[in-house]
This record gives sequence, structure tokens and C-alpha cells, in this order.
Amino acid sequence: MSRFFRLRVLAFGGAGLAALLVAACFDLPGFGGGSHPYGDRAVRASLARRTANVISSVNFDQRAYDTLGEMSILFAAVLGCVVLLRQNRDEHRDRPEPTEVALPVRRYALLVLPVALVTGLYVIAHGQLSPGGGFQGGVVAATALHLLYLGADYGALERVRPIGVFEVTDSLAACSYLVLGLAGVLAGTAFLANTLLPYGTFNTLSSGGTVPLLNAAIGMEVASAVVVLLARFLDQAVEIEEEKGS
Amino acid sequence: MHHLLPLLAAGPLLGATLLVAAGRRLPRVVAESFACAVCAATGVLALVLLLNSSPPLTEWVGGWRPVHGESVGIVVIGDGPSLGMAVLVSLLTLAALVYSWHYFEEPPRGHAGSYPALMLAFQAGMCGFAIAGDLFNMFVFFELMSVVAYALTGFRIDEAKAVQGALTFGVVNSLGAYAMLTGIGLLYARTGELAMSRIGRGLDAYGRPDALVLAAFVLVLTALLVKAAAVPFHLWLPDAHAVAPTPVCMLLSGVMVELGAYGVWRVYGTIFAGPGGIPAADLERALVALGVLTAVVGAVMCWHQRHIKRLLANSTIAHTGLFLAALGVLTPEGDDGAALYILGHAGVKAALFACTGILLDRYGNVDERALHGRGRDLRTVGVLFAIGGLALAGLPPFGTGIGKAVSEEAVGGPLTVLFVLASAVTSGAVLRVAARVFLGLGAPPPKGAAYETTGADEEPETSGRLDRIPGTMIFVPAVLLAGALAVGVAPGFPTVVSRAVAAAGTGRTPVDVHWTSTGVLLGCLSSLLAVGLAAVAVVRPGLLTAPSWALPLRRLQSGHVGDYVAWLLVGATVLGALALPGVLGG
Repeated sequence: MSRFFRLRVLAFGGAGLAALLVAACFDLPGFGGGSHPYGDRAVRASLARRTANVISSVNFDQRAYDTLGEMSILFAAVLGCVVLLRQNRDEHRDRPEPTEVALPVRRYALLVLPVALVTGLYVIAHGQLSPGGGFQGGVVAATALHLLYLGADYGALERVRPIGVFEVTDSLAACSYLVLGLAGVLAGTAFLANTLLPYGTFNTLSSGGTVPLLNAAIGMEVASAVVVLLARFLDQAVEIEEEKGS
Repeated sequence: MHHLLPLLAAGPLLGATLLVAAGRRLPRVVAESFACAVCAATGVLALVLLLNSSPPLTEWVGGWRPVHGESVGIVVIGDGPSLGMAVLVSLLTLAALVYSWHYFEEPPRGHAGSYPALMLAFQAGMCGFAIAGDLFNMFVFFELMSVVAYALTGFRIDEAKAVQGALTFGVVNSLGAYAMLTGIGLLYARTGELAMSRIGRGLDAYGRPDALVLAAFVLVLTALLVKAAAVPFHLWLPDAHAVAPTPVCMLLSGVMVELGAYGVWRVYGTIFAGPGGIPAADLERALVALGVLTAVVGAVMCWHQRHIKRLLANSTIAHTGLFLAALGVLTPEGDDGAALYILGHAGVKAALFACTGILLDRYGNVDERALHGRGRDLRTVGVLFAIGGLALAGLPPFGTGIGKAVSEEAVGGPLTVLFVLASAVTSGAVLRVAARVFLGLGAPPPKGAAYETTGADEEPETSGRLDRIPGTMIFVPAVLLAGALAVGVAPGFPTVVSRAVAAAGTGRTPVDVHWTSTGVLLGCLSSLLAVGLAAVAVVRPGLLTAPSWALPLRRLQSGHVGDYVAWLLVGATVLGALALPGVLGG
């Protein structure tokens, strides 16, 4: 299609869909209303199981099966990246040269790295109590590690980040989430049922039954998955070179 | 028993994680055997659940059963259609895994587990989608199967077109997924529910449908129709099928696309069928119109391909059009016909792809003209390919035949002609290929026209070209065709399917489904037409070359992502326009 025709088609389709969406917006319930049928139910259910962070209760208890699907999407996406970003026939590997890093950058990165790492782990560990959880903390912890790439160089990052170990951790974390779910079936209740462990004392680290365990599994999975993902892209950008003349 | 339902998704996922964890140390044989075992075990579980699915099973995952009619959990549904799809998914995944036994060059060095793990994740995504009874959960598994499918499509990264095809597939399907998420948001805003049956009840309680319901309907259906490759959402499909490894094509065409049609049936029946949803007449208009358009475009495009994988991909589009038309008439017979048709078609289409894969790996080529006469020594493959071609036309007693016959009876009138013609044209194209490639009939063709995708210069998917065809690669298409035959000849099977569909909560009385003389005659008519078309094409190729009006249709398949996105938006608008009268009429 010519550019002109494509724009015409796009404008027609876009206008129609936009009109539909605008019309639908006028039928939405008003902003700030008092009726939250699902919210009220979720909060009640969360408090009944002594989970202080309702979002975590929704993620890892009430709708833990959705979280299983989302974790699998990340797991499959990373696996897909490992497969697609492999070295192909026309490429070879070049060791990158160490480069000079400006001193302020180096100081800042090395200073912030441990702080960021601890923050990430804290966010994971307190997922059942305060905002955050495995998904968010996992990303923070994984990116913290990459400050080493900014502050030192690629070689230093590679030394603290054995890819094989992270790949195996990624799959074992996903596996443990599934095993925790299966435990419910084996115990005769239901898949991913949060009835195996005591609910503990409200607002303490060991409250919420299986919520902290599932949350930790997700944290581990997300952190390793992001490390592997970034490693594959960095690999492409830094190490793998196209053959000359191909 | 119902507690085991979520394991249909969790089982293959567990297998996939274990394969990746141990994949670096496992020899390839062990990894692939393990994947086959997990896949087969899931299939057995699905079958056992299916045999116990009357009355339908429901399971609240995590034990969140409704209290005072309210639940915060996720419901999964094990009725005839959902578990039937799960069984079909498992069987085809197993077939694809067995087919790829000796197949691939080993993917990333030291990762013997990656490819079988991706296949298991694909199986999990499709099973999870089939049994979803919660709209958001359906979206999650829609995404899972899409993500795995993108990766599998682009598997052969050494070819630029593989990456291009996977990227197009990814962009278009992701847009569909965003549309679905927006639609879910609208429905949630109105009803505060995510379980499909409860959303339906919430809409009915609110009253007459308005613009919000229409928008939600259009957005959710857009995603499912993108998956089902209905025109004009279909453009990603031929590009993806042309580049995906053959075992992946078997799954994409055999069952993933059909899951889109299944999703339309499920979503309409449980959410929009009530007085607060979209009136039946409007859905019928929309689905039948899109179905007819899809069948016509698919059949015309199919006939004019010389790249065999593209030809089969376009035949899938034509057949999805027929499924949508059969579902669209909203009668029990239509649903039964579509269900049987999907079952028969899955075996036939997967077998045809399997045969094409053998050509690719032996000759490094899937171009009908370049392969002229070169398949003479592959006698068994040729016979299987021709049988598959005839079955595609609905030749009795294949499963495609009874599915087509029941659908034709359900749609009646002029739509019957569409069923006969679309199946005859796609089947004729396959038979034409069979006659030219495996028998060497007709004159060796001249050099092609300018605007064509040839299938020459393809890389074989095995390590080097095959001299001897491994037994598994012949065995798989033969078994698949036998399965398609069994759907049609197993006594009482159509009635069992009909009962299972009727028991799935649509409140319809089961109808007695069997071969009728009209159905047999129309099936034979389609097959004869197909043979005739193929014969004319081989003997007098000049008579059936592309007419000038078909050229713009082929130019739509430009490979430009921007074009595909533009058509997706047009499709959503058209869908809205087709369903609009019922909303205004209130």
C-alpha cells in the first residue's frame, strides 16, 4: 500500500474506534463513587487471612492463578529471548575492551549499588506488609546489579553474574511456585489454596500463610529473569559482532 | 476430580521449568522424551476429566468458592468444549514433539531443553485459555500462548524473514491483547466482576445495552478475531506460517487459530448472550458477514499461492471463515458442526504441514513450481498429501466431511454454496500441488510473475538436507489423518460431541447429529469440484491464473506492519458498525 492510502485506512479505522471509545466513556460510572463491589470483597478476604497488603493478597492468594500465568509469561519471554538472541551463523564473539569510567560515575555507581540491592531485597521481603512485592523488588534488585556495568566495566559485571546460575534459579523459582500450588491439590483442598500454613499475626513478617512464600518465589524468578534478559541484550550489544562483509 | 482442572495448565509449565533447569546437562534424547511424557500425561488428564465432565466441572482455584453468591477467586470450567479443546491441544502438541524428534538442528548450544520447554509452555497457554471461566484469566493465558508463539515463530534466526514474520505476528497480536484488556476494563467498570458468567449477569441486571457494552464487545472480539485470523485481522497469519518451523505451523494452524473461534463462542455465550448484551441478530450479522468475507478471501488467496506453506496458511484462513459462519448462525446445529469441523480440520491441516515439512527438509524448497516432479520418489508422502487434500474438501467419511455437512445443514440456503466452494477451492489448490510435485503432471512452469512470494531458497530445518525420511516424520501425518478419519467414522461420536456442546451451559437441547444423504452428496460434490479444479489447473494453467481483481488482494499481504495495524483498526470499526443497530434500536 502506498503511504497515502495506508494513512487513509488508518485514519478511517482509528476514527471509528475512537468514536466508539469516547461514546463508551460517557457510560462509565462516575469518578470517585462509593460503590466498589470487588474492592470491598477483596479487602475483607485479605483481612480474614491477616495479610496487611491487600494487593499482595489479591496477587498471591485470591488470584494467585493469574499470577502463575503472568510469571509464566515472563518465564516464556525470557526463554524466547535466550533462543532468539543466540549467536547466529554470521556472527562471532569479540571480548570488549575495558574502558575508562569517569570517576564521579564510578563512585556514585559503587556507592548506590549495595543500597539499591538491599532496597530491592527489602521490597521483596516485605511484600505481604507494605507496597511492593516480588515483581517490583525483583526488578529493583536485578537492575542494581547492573550498576556495576556503569561503574566498572562489562568484565566486572560478568564476574558477579554467572548466567547459567541465574537461568537455573529462574526456572527453579518458577518451579517452586508451581510446587507450592500443587501442595494444595495433594493436601486435598485446591490448587494454590492458602490453607496449609497458619496465618500468623497481622502485620508481621510471617503473616498471611503461603503469601510470603509465593511472593519470595516471584521475587527470585523476576530478579533472575531480568538479569538473564538484560544479559542477552548486552551480549548482543557488546560482545556479538557481525562478520565483516556479510 | 474438579480440583485437578488447573493442572492442565500447571502440569506442562512444571515440565517446562524442569527442562530449562536441567536443560544444560541433559542429552537431547532425554529432554525430548521427558517433554513427550509430560505432554502425553497432560493429554491423559484432559481425557479423564473430559470423560467425567457431565455435568460440567467448575473449580474455584485456591478454594475461593463463592460465599453468599460472591467470590474473589478465579473460576475454571471443565465442560465438553473446553476439555475437548484441551485434549486436542495436547494431542497436537504431542504430534508436533514426535515429529520434531529427529528434526531440528540443535538450538542454542547446550540448551537442549529450550525448544521442548517452549512447546510445553505453548501447550500450557492453550490449555489454560481453553478452560478459563474468568475473563481476565482468559486474557493472561491468551498472552502466554501468544508470547510463546512469537518466540517459536522466529526460531530460525538465521533467516531475516523469520524474524520479520515473528515481529509482525507479535505486533498485531499484542495490539489485539491490548484491545481485550481495554474491553475487560470497561466490563469491570460496569459490573465489578471478572468471572464471565457473573459479568453476563451484571450486564443483564443493568438493563439495555449501551455504547459501553458495544465498545467492550468490539474490543474483546477484536482480540479473539485477531487470533482466529478473520479478515481483515488475518494478515499476520500467512507471514507467520511461512517462516515458522513446521511443527509450530502444525500447532498454529491446527489448534491455536481455532481457539480464537472457540473464544468467540465462549465469550458471546456467557457474557453477551443475555438481554443486557448484544442482541443475537446483531451478532449473527457480524459473525456471518466476517465469516463469509474470510472464507472468500482465504480461498482466493489460497488458490493463487505457489509457496506451499503460505497456500496451507491461506486455506486455514478460509476454513476459519467457515467455522465463524457456522458459529454465527447461533443454532445448536451450527455449534455442533463447527466443533466437528474443527476436530477434523486439526488433524488434516497438521498432516498437510507435516508433509510439507518433509519436502522442505529434503529439497530445501517449498515452491510448487520449483519442485515440479521432484517428489516422485516420495510416494508415501505424496499419497498422504493427496489424501489430506481430499479430506480438506470434506470427502466423506472424514471428520471434516461430517463437520462440513452438519454446518451446511445449520446455515442453509446460499451459505451452503459458500461452504462447498471454499472447501473445494482450498482442496483443489492442495491437489494441484500434489499433482505437480508428486506426480510431475503438467508442463514444467515458466518463470513466475513479478509480485509473488516463491518458496525457493528456503533453509531446511534439519541439520543438512535429508536423504532418508525418518520414520517419525511419516508416522505423524499418517496418524493425524487416521484421527481425522476416526472423527467421521467412529459410531456415535458426532452425537457425543453434540451432547457435550449442549451440556456446556448454553441451555440448548442436544440434537441428533449423523451423516445425512445430502451431507454425503455435498461432500462428494466438493471433492469432485476440487479434483476438477486441480485437473484444469494442471492441464490448462492459463485458464485459472490470477484475475486482475485478485491482485489488489494479494498486495494487501505486503509484509508492512503499518498496513496490518491499519486494517486491524478498520476491522474493529467494521465490527462495531455491524453490531451497532441492536444497541441503537433500544
